[in-house]
Amino acid sequence: MELILNILGAIATIVLAFTVGMSYGGIVRKITARVHNRMGPPWYQNFIDAFKLAGKTTAINHGIMQHFGPAFIMVSSIVSLMIVPVLNGGGWFENLNFGGDLIFLLYIMVFGPLGMALGAGQTGNPNSAIGITRGLSQMVGFEIPWVMALVALMVQFDTTSIVDIMRIQNESGTWMMFSSPFAFIAAVMAMLGMFRYSPFDIVGAPTELASGPVSENGGKYLLTMMSSGSIFAFVKLTLYVDLFMGGADNLIILVLKTFALYMIPVLYGIVSPRYRTEQSIRFFWGWPTFFGLLAILYAVFV
Amino acid sequence: MINDKNSQKIVDILQNWARKHSLFVLAYGTGCGAIEIPPTMTSRYDAERFGIRGAATPRQADVLLITGYLTTKTLKRVIRVYEQMQDPKYVIGFGSCTINGGMYYDSYNTIKVLDKYLPVDVYINGCMPRPESVISGIVKLQSLIAEGKANGAAKYKENLDWYRANQKKIIPNWVMPEYNW
Amino acid sequence: MEMIYLILVLFLGGAVLTWLLGKISPIIRDILFISSVIIPTVLFFMNVEVGHDVSFQVLGYKLSWGISYLAYLFSYIVLGLGSLASVYAVAAMKGKKNLGFFYSNFILSIMSMMGILLSRDLISFFIFWEIMTWSSYLMVVFRGKDVQKVGIKYFVFSAIGAYAMLMAIVIVNSLTNSLLISDLVSSFGSFSLSMKWLIPLLLLIGFAVKSAMMPLHVWAPGAYSNSPMAFTSMFSGALSKMGVYGMIIVMVSLVSYIPNGFWLKETIAWLGGITAVGGTLWAVAQDDAKKLLAYSSVAQLGYIIVGIGIGTPLAMLSALFMAVMHAIFKGNLFLVVGAIERQTGTSNLTEVSGLIRKMPWTFISALFSIIALAGIPPLGGFVGKWMLYESLIGSNHYLLVIVVFFSSTAAFLYSYKFLFGFFLGQEEKEWSHIKEAPAMMVVPMMILAVATFVLGTFPGLVLNPIDNGLQELGFASTQGRYWEMSALFNEWGNQVMLQPLVYAIIAVFLFFAAFLTIKGFKHTRYVTTKDISSSGEVPKEHENLTFSQNFFQPFLRAVEPFMKRRIDTYYSGIGNGLEAIFDFTRRIYTGNGQTYALYAVIFIVVLLMFKNALFGL
Repeated sequence: MELILNILGAIATIVLAFTVGMSYGGIVRKITARVHNRMGPPWYQNFIDAFKLAGKTTAINHGIMQHFGPAFIMVSSIVSLMIVPVLNGGGWFENLNFGGDLIFLLYIMVFGPLGMALGAGQTGNPNSAIGITRGLSQMVGFEIPWVMALVALMVQFDTTSIVDIMRIQNESGTWMMFSSPFAFIAAVMAMLGMFRYSPFDIVGAPTELASGPVSENGGKYLLTMMSSGSIFAFVKLTLYVDLFMGGADNLIILVLKTFALYMIPVLYGIVSPRYRTEQSIRFFWGWPTFFGLLAILYAVFV
Repeated sequence: MINDKNSQKIVDILQNWARKHSLFVLAYGTGCGAIEIPPTMTSRYDAERFGIRGAATPRQADVLLITGYLTTKTLKRVIRVYEQMQDPKYVIGFGSCTINGGMYYDSYNTIKVLDKYLPVDVYINGCMPRPESVISGIVKLQSLIAEGKANGAAKYKENLDWYRANQKKIIPNWVMPEYNW
Repeated sequence: MEMIYLILVLFLGGAVLTWLLGKISPIIRDILFISSVIIPTVLFFMNVEVGHDVSFQVLGYKLSWGISYLAYLFSYIVLGLGSLASVYAVAAMKGKKNLGFFYSNFILSIMSMMGILLSRDLISFFIFWEIMTWSSYLMVVFRGKDVQKVGIKYFVFSAIGAYAMLMAIVIVNSLTNSLLISDLVSSFGSFSLSMKWLIPLLLLIGFAVKSAMMPLHVWAPGAYSNSPMAFTSMFSGALSKMGVYGMIIVMVSLVSYIPNGFWLKETIAWLGGITAVGGTLWAVAQDDAKKLLAYSSVAQLGYIIVGIGIGTPLAMLSALFMAVMHAIFKGNLFLVVGAIERQTGTSNLTEVSGLIRKMPWTFISALFSIIALAGIPPLGGFVGKWMLYESLIGSNHYLLVIVVFFSSTAAFLYSYKFLFGFFLGQEEKEWSHIKEAPAMMVVPMMILAVATFVLGTFPGLVLNPIDNGLQELGFASTQGRYWEMSALFNEWGNQVMLQPLVYAIIAVFLFFAAFLTIKGFKHTRYVTTKDISSSGEVPKEHENLTFSQNFFQPFLRAVEPFMKRRIDTYYSGIGNGLEAIFDFTRRIYTGNGQTYALYAVIFIVVLLMFKNALFGL
């Protein structure tokens, strides 16, 4: 019985993440349009796109890895969703919250991109490979400030468990973003790269690389990548809320907090041009790393 | 369950509705008409409110937008791009040149009637057609999709021999992979 | 006969017999080779018990052989990898010249490694260490004269290490009048302070050379990439672990007792971290798969050295676990490169591409090893990395965490480059005739690939022997505190449940793979990699669209400032300087009798001049 309930809870979490992630995607398109002084598509546009992609034929493949690539990235998204606590106290969305810690999460989160890189590699399109080398290089860039922020958190709370970090924040009543501001700044700057909005969107530059890694994937492949991307966006936002904003007590607060956070990369992206890869790497190793160092010093000495 | 006729109809209606509202457009802009696409997509006319979005590669695209005249050399590439697109797919002929050659009616190296080589679903008349007419053409395509009448791809598959014969007349050294999906 | 003697004699006799009888016919040679590796291996695991040792007198010195728990753990690596690599070597080296020589060297190196593990006294340790150096040197120069330079580099560094070690042994002997390791450890506390620093430092130089620690690593890339791949698998997987083995004993049994020895440990840990970063960055820049893996080995050993340098129980656990894992996955990756080189004739990542459909089994084993190397969770590499991070944070090495993490993230770059370069990308016509490697090569690779998975799910299988070894070194038992069969706990009691997570990952993965495959694969047809969307163009058969040149150019541009300084240039500066001095010295010998007479006169004059100062008259 308990097993069935657990499975139901897991499915509910996935549905929630999918819905929220896809809606956010649509809302972002709407907001971008409003900033451009356009009407923009309706907020549910991404659902329509997904539904259409599901109905599209997938007539060709370039080999077995192209099938496994989207599966890899979906697995990575779902497993990291299972580990990240959605709400304070777990409840329906508890899943595997106690099974892993921050370091485990860091590694499982790169499982997907690497799998997708393999899938895109097999298509043989040179543009895909170029996009992937850019993506992986950029990842090395933003992981440094991100890990520095996480290390600062671990030092400050003396634990690597996400659940414990949330509990301590709730007990003390101070959000991490106020008690450890430098870590928050470093993490948010890393987040700009993580979401791949401008200025860090050279990975899938549409006209230069023909959308890069996904250039050979249409139909169901694209659908899987799109939905896992939405789930992944939700996971990342929830993780940030858990770590820096004390988690959420119910779904409404969660949506408000994640949406507020999400606006940072989105709004920064709308008004930004595009960096070259080495420029973006150097950006991440500049101020964000400095703030990361400050965060660690702050956590050690204060 | 899906084989049931009525439920298939419902699925079709839903699918057509989704297709209609989510058109990924691959603009094949070799002709002069390509200059009309940016204003169509950006703030002034904003085609995105109809769910229209640019696609970077034929694998992801639904609509092939052929902007203006095609030369005998570019025709081969257009055919290749069309054949790489996945079903369901549509073609929009843009500008007078795709209908009857337009101002190039007596040119030796342009394609006069596009319909002989690719199944065009919707034509947009004009030289140049303004963004308003582009949008009206897209709306027309949407209504055709909703009615289930935008079946150019099926027509192409049916009459592949006829299309191939026409294409080979223009392109002498025909080296292309088979088209069989 | 004593079993320990018998095993070493069997190895030695096998080496000689393989060389001599192997000249009769290749089949006898192959059978002799495999059996003289496998039979002692089986005998060892069946009959030798930990704690049992034998001793004998040579020239009045008591020498002793036996096996400890720690050595037993390393003997898994040596003998396990050794038997798999020997089966592989028979198929891989087929038709090469000088095979008897290769095989007997192969057996000799296994014997010497076992000898090192069995030695309980310093002098037999040193002798076996030298046999190991010699046999591996002969393997490095196996290909002939064009690799002499690499071989000499390796030999010079090994000699430096060996002489440092020999000096330490002589000092120890003069101080304690005994060569037993146990005597050294027990009387170490009574040495004077300078000896307390000198002896471990000299020993560490010897071990650091073999484990390729910065700045003594420069021999490694050349030596690893130039010896035959069947042996490099051993070289990088097992032989370098001998340095780790020695280092662990020195760090735990000696350095811990130095007053302020803490700083030495810190230095070693930081050197390990720098090794990891440098090795990784250079690995990303390589185009030859062998060189890439060689630099990657340097980097991976860097992590292990970090763990040893930190020296907390969890860090030691992680270092030993990573040593086992590194032997498995890096051993396997070198075997993969060997298989590809045998089938295609090149190991250059910019030349070969699209082998996935031609060599699927090789691809699968490479994929498993790469995932383990990158430290991604379901496989074993993650377990070691996790423990390393936890121990680093737990022991307040916050900057070292960042350094190690940077190197481990940048490792994704070369991991992907390796997989993409060989297996993915455009399938070129040039390689359309390639077939899968023979079964004798594929089976060892697959066994190693499965091992990465098993150790990822059940790390307890290896953590158990490691724990025994650590207890022997004087650590408290970590059992139950840090790990169980499938769960890991850190010092704060947080846990990572490996088994359920692995099953969850597999279940979800299978679900999606099935969804995409069954739904998709039936209705899709395979198209070649030439059928891609490239602006409506149809690429011709001969048009090479593979993207492999300057693969990580943007990344390398970003890290350019770090990579400008190479330690190699300093060494070659020293080398050139020495050469100039020697060259000058050589000019003394002019070959003219009168000059020599002049030298004699000058010498006598000088002697007379300094007579008073010299003889105190």
